[in-house]
Amino acid sequence: MTAALDRITTPAKDADPHVETGHSKLGLGVGVIGLLIAMVVAGLAIAAAVQVGDAGSEDTIGELLAVAFGLNTVALATIKTGIAIILIGILVRLWTRVQGINKALPALKAPTKDQGNVATSGTTETPFGTCDLSESAPKELGIHKMAKTLWAPMLVMGLMLVAVGFVVALVWAGNVGSDPESALGASAWAQGLQFLGEAMVLGGISFLLASILAGLRAGGGKVQQSLGLPVQTLEMPVTAKVFIGLMVAGMVLAIVQFVGYIVTTQFDSAVDVFTWFAWLGPLRELSLGLLLAGIVMALATIGNVLGFQFWRIRGIITTGS
Amino acid sequence: MTTATADFNTQTTATPPDEILPHKAGRRLWFPMFLMALMGFGIGIVLAFFRADAVNSGDVQDAAALGQFVPAFMFIGFAAVFSAIAFAVARILGAFRAGGSGMQHAVGAEVKTLTMPPTGRAFIGLMVMGMMFILVPVVIHLVLGTLIATGNDSALANVEEWSIWLEASRRFGVSTYLLSILLGLATIITVLRFQSVRLGQIVAR
Repeated sequence: MTAALDRITTPAKDADPHVETGHSKLGLGVGVIGLLIAMVVAGLAIAAAVQVGDAGSEDTIGELLAVAFGLNTVALATIKTGIAIILIGILVRLWTRVQGINKALPALKAPTKDQGNVATSGTTETPFGTCDLSESAPKELGIHKMAKTLWAPMLVMGLMLVAVGFVVALVWAGNVGSDPESALGASAWAQGLQFLGEAMVLGGISFLLASILAGLRAGGGKVQQSLGLPVQTLEMPVTAKVFIGLMVAGMVLAIVQFVGYIVTTQFDSAVDVFTWFAWLGPLRELSLGLLLAGIVMALATIGNVLGFQFWRIRGIITTGS
Repeated sequence: MTTATADFNTQTTATPPDEILPHKAGRRLWFPMFLMALMGFGIGIVLAFFRADAVNSGDVQDAAALGQFVPAFMFIGFAAVFSAIAFAVARILGAFRAGGSGMQHAVGAEVKTLTMPPTGRAFIGLMVMGMMFILVPVVIHLVLGTLIATGNDSALANVEEWSIWLEASRRFGVSTYLLSILLGLATIITVLRFQSVRLGQIVAR
């Protein structure tokens, strides 16, 4: 399966850089569909607010809000799917860039001066952090292997949970007036399922970002190795470690909130249910918040690695080593 | 000088161009926004447990007031974390611009820099829009919460209607913000494509 996923994120050999891969258009299209769904959600919520203002039917208000909740999560998951498609496009483009640099650098680099024995082991300091030195491109890290294998399953499972949760939200809406107890139970399932799904979609995006970091690391190593130069690879920066920590914390809380919602379906008293809902709602938001904070750290790491790579390429061009 | 080459609008200079404002903002602000997000989420979750206690003890006024403060702080967190992501994307775009132009300068070629693509402009526009859709409700939540906490009966009576309006705006703001981030990432694809094409041009000189 890893090989199949690799094919999705790797361009054809000697791919023409002029040619658009279509990821941008597809991702944008999916994102715009998500925003259109969000507009429908806003319409439903406004209708519910107007009903409340006019002292309308409680059942109608409950139905509108239940559908709006389920559909809103679908809208968010759709836009995030668009983001995932764009990230796949970035991965493909990064490999096209590696191919281009591999071809161009031998012609652009200055002749290598005889510097005697050049270190090919140990570490060296750069403006972007400590680098490991090696003769060949570094081996893939466990976390990168995991990310490349898991981004797709996480994304697909997340979308499935959001879809199932939406169906449950429709059941919730259908029971608002006729069977309040079932409606309360369905609302717990819908909230738990959909936010676990959202977290998994964000987990898939996080793994895609880690795959981009893996691509930058592997590509940078390959380029330096092909030139016969000592391979400099940035050690894992603090931002990358924080990224992993926040991602794990976010996923754990997403599971906790899901379990919490299931527990509430066993309560006899509505007061107990609403007491738990009062902290479970913010908890599920916290889980997404931590995953998003992890994504910030992943993007910061990518920015740092890019700065290092351009610095290294400039060094190779101007000094040949 | 701005020229359209093949399918890119570029600016040509003899030396690497100065850093543009969005990239400078991205470099400086991503981390403060990240910290602000963690603070917002932290305060929000603590208040949520106080609210759960108020719901359990049947304290309607406190539960309603905290029902406004909790989303206010959680969404300060979301606005900040989305801003941090947007600034981190801008920082990446800045790294590409500085690195790409520095590389062209190093090989002695004229420095061609991509002018901001339409996706880049839409990224900034939607980001501002998304932030407004989130921050305006946050302010109203804080005002409502304060009114209810100080015993304003009218605010308490209308809190349900207000909450639905504010939630609608916040939700739409989150979707808009996510779409802006998508556009920022799409801009990275455009930049990567341009840089690969430009590299080929330099080698073919």
